[in-house]
Amino acid sequence: MKALVVYCHPNPASFTAAVLDVVIEELTVVGAEYRIVDLYSEAFQPILRSTELEFYLDSQRNRNFVANHAGNIEWCDTLIFVYPTWWYGLPALLKGWLDRVMLPGLAFHMPDEGKRSIRPGLGHIHRFGAFTTCGASWAWTQFVGAPGKMTLLRGLRPLCGFSTRTVFAAHYRMDTSTTKSRTLHLAKVRRKMKRLLN
Amino acid sequence: MTRAFVLFAHPVRDSFSAALHQAVVETLAARDWEVDDCNLHAEDFQPILTEEERRNYHEEPGNIQPVIEYVNRLRRADAMILVFPVWIYGFPAILKGFFDRVCVPGVAFRLENGRVAPNLQNIRKLAAVTTYGGTRLRALGVFDPPRRIVTGAVRFYCQPDKMRYLALYDMNRIGPNRREAFLARVKREMAAL
Repeated sequence: MKALVVYCHPNPASFTAAVLDVVIEELTVVGAEYRIVDLYSEAFQPILRSTELEFYLDSQRNRNFVANHAGNIEWCDTLIFVYPTWWYGLPALLKGWLDRVMLPGLAFHMPDEGKRSIRPGLGHIHRFGAFTTCGASWAWTQFVGAPGKMTLLRGLRPLCGFSTRTVFAAHYRMDTSTTKSRTLHLAKVRRKMKRLLN
Repeated sequence: MTRAFVLFAHPVRDSFSAALHQAVVETLAARDWEVDDCNLHAEDFQPILTEEERRNYHEEPGNIQPVIEYVNRLRRADAMILVFPVWIYGFPAILKGFFDRVCVPGVAFRLENGRVAPNLQNIRKLAAVTTYGGTRLRALGVFDPPRRIVTGAVRFYCQPDKMRYLALYDMNRIGPNRREAFLARVKREMAAL
């Protein structure tokens, strides 16, 4: 098992960092190989610029701008996101990682004469996980359509295979969380991770 | 005079998004609106919420200090028009970062007993002008995040009298005729906003 963990939080003492620790522990328990992409630590540049966009459709060259990240995508069979939900969605830094790394020829294939829609390119990813925290309540998040969760689970996840095992967990109302609610959530993350990896 | 804040997020000058942006700005200016044209790429906007900003996120009013100029521009506006392409089912990162960093508590919304209350009611007219590579059906399969954020969250925070979400779908396949028709529609809608 080869797991790519994409982690996005600026504060090393955050609850999201604690979630990451649980994810790594569970990967270690099953003896998985893993790589962590810590977007804040590596100062990932999230803006898709005109020079890159010029080569966007050129599947031979578009990944040269983000070669390491593209290599990680091709290497892994398990993809896990650990991030806070801000403004109902992915943090700009993580959204920019998708903008720049989820490229045609890598994550999906553009429509052509025969195909009306894009086609999946992540068929080699058999396990897909997303773990997040939301300031908003569950109900309010649903009202806005859970954009962050949907981007990953309904947008990205279908680029993997039909049988890709998928888990998701969110701690809602994070700003009024308690020690108990956070402990319960970490236990839930652990259960979901076991389900994902077994 | 109506003051419009136009928020634009496409890096390529001769892109269709840039043409839409130009149409928006020109049409509003022709109505004698005062247009504050905020081109995020041209202004080199930094979209990453920093560790310090995250720590101070709820500390009003100090939380707006790093982005005070953008906050002031937002607060001066009577109308806000977002012009952007949809990438990977959502806002480009540079625009998402504007929400993350500028639209913080005390600006876009207030937190009252753990509930959000609107705080951008100075914006009476709200519009988005956007393009999607895929079809409307495909966007709906993902619950169309940018549409839901604009017509759900941003609309709630502004409580505008008028709101328009103008979207051209299926950009990967449609021809120039439909692009031209959309450009004309955007001009009409901006003249009537």
